[in-house]
Amino acid sequence: MASPIRILTAVPICDGHDSAINTINLEFIRHGIEVVYLGYHRSVGDIVRAAIQEDVRAIGISSYNGGHIEFFAEVVALLREKGAADIKVFGGGGGTITHEDAAMMRRKGVDEIFFAGTSLDEMVKFVHQRYGKPRAKRARAKSSDIELAHKLTEIEDKKKIRNSKFGIRNSCKTRVIGFTGPGGAGKTTLIDELVLRFLNKDRQSRVAILSHDPSVIGEGALLGDRATMINSQNDRVFMRSMATRGQAGGLSPATHDCLALLARSGFDYVIIETVGTGQEAMPFQKNGIVDQTVLVMNPDYGSRLQLQKIVMLDLADIVVVNKSDLQRARTAHTEIEQRLEQNRRAQCLIDTVAKRHRDSGVDKLFGLISTSDKSKRGKERKSHEQARTGR
Amino acid sequence: MSKLGQVVESVETYNQFVLDQVKRARSDEKFGRDLLGRWNDIKAKIPTTRAPTGLPLPRLALPEIDEPGEIARFLLGEGLPGEFPFLNGAYREMYLEPVREVESFEKDGETKKSKTDKKIPQAEEPTRLFSGLMLAEDTNERFHYLTRHQRTHRLSTAFDGPTLYGIDSDADGVFGKIGEGGVAIDTVEDMVRLYDGFDLGSANFSASMTISGPAPIIMAMYIAAAKRRFGPSVVPKLRGTIQADIFKEVQAQNETIFPIEPSLRFLTDMVEFTTREMPRWYPISISGYHIGEAGSTPVQQAAYTLSNGFAYAEMFAARGIPVDQFGPRLSFFLDCGLDVEYIALARVSRRIWAIGMRDVFGAGPKAQLYKLHTQTSGRSLIAAEFKNNLTRTAAELILAYMNATNSCHSNSADEPFTTPSEEWIRLAAHGQAILLEESGIFKHTMNMLSGSPGMKAVERAVEAAILEEFREIERLGGVLAAVEDRYQRSQIQNASHRYEQQINDGVRPIIGLNRYRNGSDDMPEVKLARTPRKKQQLQVERLAKFKKKNADKSKRALDKLAAAVESGKNCFPELLEAVEVCSLGQITGRLQEVVGRFRPMV
Ligand code: B12
Repeated sequence: MASPIRILTAVPICDGHDSAINTINLEFIRHGIEVVYLGYHRSVGDIVRAAIQEDVRAIGISSYNGGHIEFFAEVVALLREKGAADIKVFGGGGGTITHEDAAMMRRKGVDEIFFAGTSLDEMVKFVHQRYGKPRAKRARAKSSDIELAHKLTEIEDKKKIRNSKFGIRNSCKTRVIGFTGPGGAGKTTLIDELVLRFLNKDRQSRVAILSHDPSVIGEGALLGDRATMINSQNDRVFMRSMATRGQAGGLSPATHDCLALLARSGFDYVIIETVGTGQEAMPFQKNGIVDQTVLVMNPDYGSRLQLQKIVMLDLADIVVVNKSDLQRARTAHTEIEQRLEQNRRAQCLIDTVAKRHRDSGVDKLFGLISTSDKSKRGKERKSHEQARTGR
Repeated sequence: MSKLGQVVESVETYNQFVLDQVKRARSDEKFGRDLLGRWNDIKAKIPTTRAPTGLPLPRLALPEIDEPGEIARFLLGEGLPGEFPFLNGAYREMYLEPVREVESFEKDGETKKSKTDKKIPQAEEPTRLFSGLMLAEDTNERFHYLTRHQRTHRLSTAFDGPTLYGIDSDADGVFGKIGEGGVAIDTVEDMVRLYDGFDLGSANFSASMTISGPAPIIMAMYIAAAKRRFGPSVVPKLRGTIQADIFKEVQAQNETIFPIEPSLRFLTDMVEFTTREMPRWYPISISGYHIGEAGSTPVQQAAYTLSNGFAYAEMFAARGIPVDQFGPRLSFFLDCGLDVEYIALARVSRRIWAIGMRDVFGAGPKAQLYKLHTQTSGRSLIAAEFKNNLTRTAAELILAYMNATNSCHSNSADEPFTTPSEEWIRLAAHGQAILLEESGIFKHTMNMLSGSPGMKAVERAVEAAILEEFREIERLGGVLAAVEDRYQRSQIQNASHRYEQQINDGVRPIIGLNRYRNGSDDMPEVKLARTPRKKQQLQVERLAKFKKKNADKSKRALDKLAAAVESGKNCFPELLEAVEVCSLGQITGRLQEVVGRFRPMV
């Protein structure tokens, strides 16, 4: 079966009209397309960076607040400048984009503009026809990010990987951290807050994020994590969104290989985030690449009994109770603490309110995972190993 | 139980109370007799009027009932216009024409100069047209054009994208967006230009500003601009409205710029200031319009708007502002489309608000009023055969006035394409005049179209559905918790998707699009209002000058503002100082350093 088409959609800067794109996103995924949604109020730079990292076939832009001729043209121009001209641009904006505007936009390199009144079926058909054919042989990548993005696509689509012109820097400095936990616990927000701290720590370190969203075989997926990540829209962050493509357990069939590639691509930190997981999930067991695992919990997990069933509570190095401003948070902390004591190993329990600016709990978590103290890290690893063998 | 849960109970209790009173009126003879007496009194005092044709009519129409139980049901369950629970109207006479013209006609059957000076004032002049384009001086010109023929000057201001998002015209990537869809405002100097030539302190002037994310900053700029022109004594005289509705931004309009909690705090700081210092100002317009336009069902729109309103009331009361001080300064803004619910949506909302405010918040009569501005639905207006939009808007206007809205904006037929051009604005404004002044539907008699069996059926169904929504929000832990959970957002998005699918599948007839389509693709010749690059450049240059001029002072003002925010006290006074020397974007940026940026919900 052919791999799903990947599209990126977004609404331009200073524009919050997202009704149309929300509907279009849903129609696309209903028809087997994977949509990386970047959200509204997005700059040209953010859109192009995301499209390159996600290595999508095309960018769909929905623009209502005017200035569309310039905006679309700038997206096309920046794609070309970055060496990503194979990513196409299309879009719409109801009646605000006139036929004359559209003609001008086509001349500037936009594939297609959909006018007010176009049926949803027509747009879906367009995407399938125009972007559904296998990619032509790709030109040599112009930057390391583009090359990495291409390779991730090849892995995801189970193609062979060609040799790198840039050479893979295999560095031991890379730290791989896995985040998992039930849906709605706030993993994405927490990661984005950590990214802010990574970026502020120094001026050059780079972070990669591999994030997952659910999909069923043969259907599309809405990959929406990027849209809520305000701090990760940064040239020092390489983010890739993956659909699970039918695999249970919170990751995708290609995750292991993609993660392995990211882990040896010269990043200082690689963060992997699973989809919202169930109680039995233990997503990072087999891959052996993850240095440290973080389980993010919501205080509203139900009864104490439920805690016994959560396998990750045995395995995680750090357990975070996010949303600790909620009423139940204190009880949750105590119950989880007691649960962890059964394990008899060095696990940390941290309370955070990730939605809060400069939250001290997030600072603490950052301290734990960013520590460059080798001996400390070694010790941590050891206790980790012991815990594993001891079971 | 949160206040919203109590509101549900209060409405149920009130409905039961009405039923009990109906029974009592039938069983308790004295009570029944008193009611009948009061009813006859009311009827006897209703003035008569005449249509231009000479037809005599009462200025207030009442149901033809003479049985005490039914009288109780009407008086307590609906209320006369202007009386609790305000189902039929917030005021007694709304848009009735002054009685003077009527009397002179009555005297001898022809229109003569009125002999008597006695007049019932026309309480409402409901036309208020939303406008904003290019730079401050261009919008100013539009304002003067619009108010040429109006007795009172009620300006409604639309801001451009950068302003709505609290950033400056010189920010990265916004060139091209300056002055599009609304007016570009960066500094207090722009604000001075925007309302040039209008007497901001006059009783005949009011300004409305449609902005929410950066509302406290824009409010401060407005006050500063007024002071620059008229001195500090103008402040208590300022009249107008600023939208400032954060909940609906998060739920539907997507222009939140600070995280929710600090956004609400800045709002409350502003409300505390204006209710004290500017008693004629409406510091918040609790808006369902954007919720409706984002694709919600009418019931969702009404329910979220009301519940947001109650949540604000709870917040302001918690700050220590007395309910009878802030209550009368709250106003509402609803959408009016063509779905059948709109026959009674605002009527039902007005009733629920009054009951909740009285019985849960202990509000006095003035703080019980759901004062409403309505706008006809923009989303119902489409590009295909766009002149049909005139008819759609006309039908929506009738619905809006059937709900006794206090003021109304009618959309222009070129709505799908551009900020309306003068030609179509004129038609939109005239549409209202034709309905209110030319036609006899709303000018002779209050309750002209109220109370039909169908309308009552809709009222009952809508009320029940709204209360059910309240219960769901209550289950989720109240409005703020539900908002943070994306509850309202996801409900609205589902409804919107269904709406578009229904159009796509033809289940929802749209004339000229999925029915009676003429075949030719007719993008019409409309004059587009676009901001020339030169003008955008000018705005950027002005801003640069302002920043250069105030470079030193602005730094100090921002530090002071940041310190005030950190301290947790009301920071509006510092904001008032800051706008004198800082631009909108400078202030937003500094505040974001302290409280963070809003994390978009999608
Ligand atoms: C709904 C709406 C709103 C809602 C938005 C809710 C939301 N969350 O989306 C609310 C009320 C909040 C709103 C606010 C504003 N709005 Co508005 N809004 C509209 C309205 C009525 C409908 C747009 C819409 O969603 N239509 C439904 C979609 C599904 O259909 P469609 O537009 O016909 O699009 C079709 C195709 O073009 C295609 N399509 C669209 N995008 C894409 C993308 C891709 C990739 C593809 C394949 C296809 C495609 O799919 C659709 C199906 O056929 C239009 C006017 C109109 N009638 O069109 C004004 C309009 C777009 N708004 C306008 C303005 C000015 C504003 C404000 C700036 C007003 C202000 N100053 O405060 C604010 C800004 C809001 C913001 N955050 O940016 C102007 C823009 C003017 C201009 N460009 O010159 C318009 C044209 C109204 C007007 N005449 O003034 N608005």
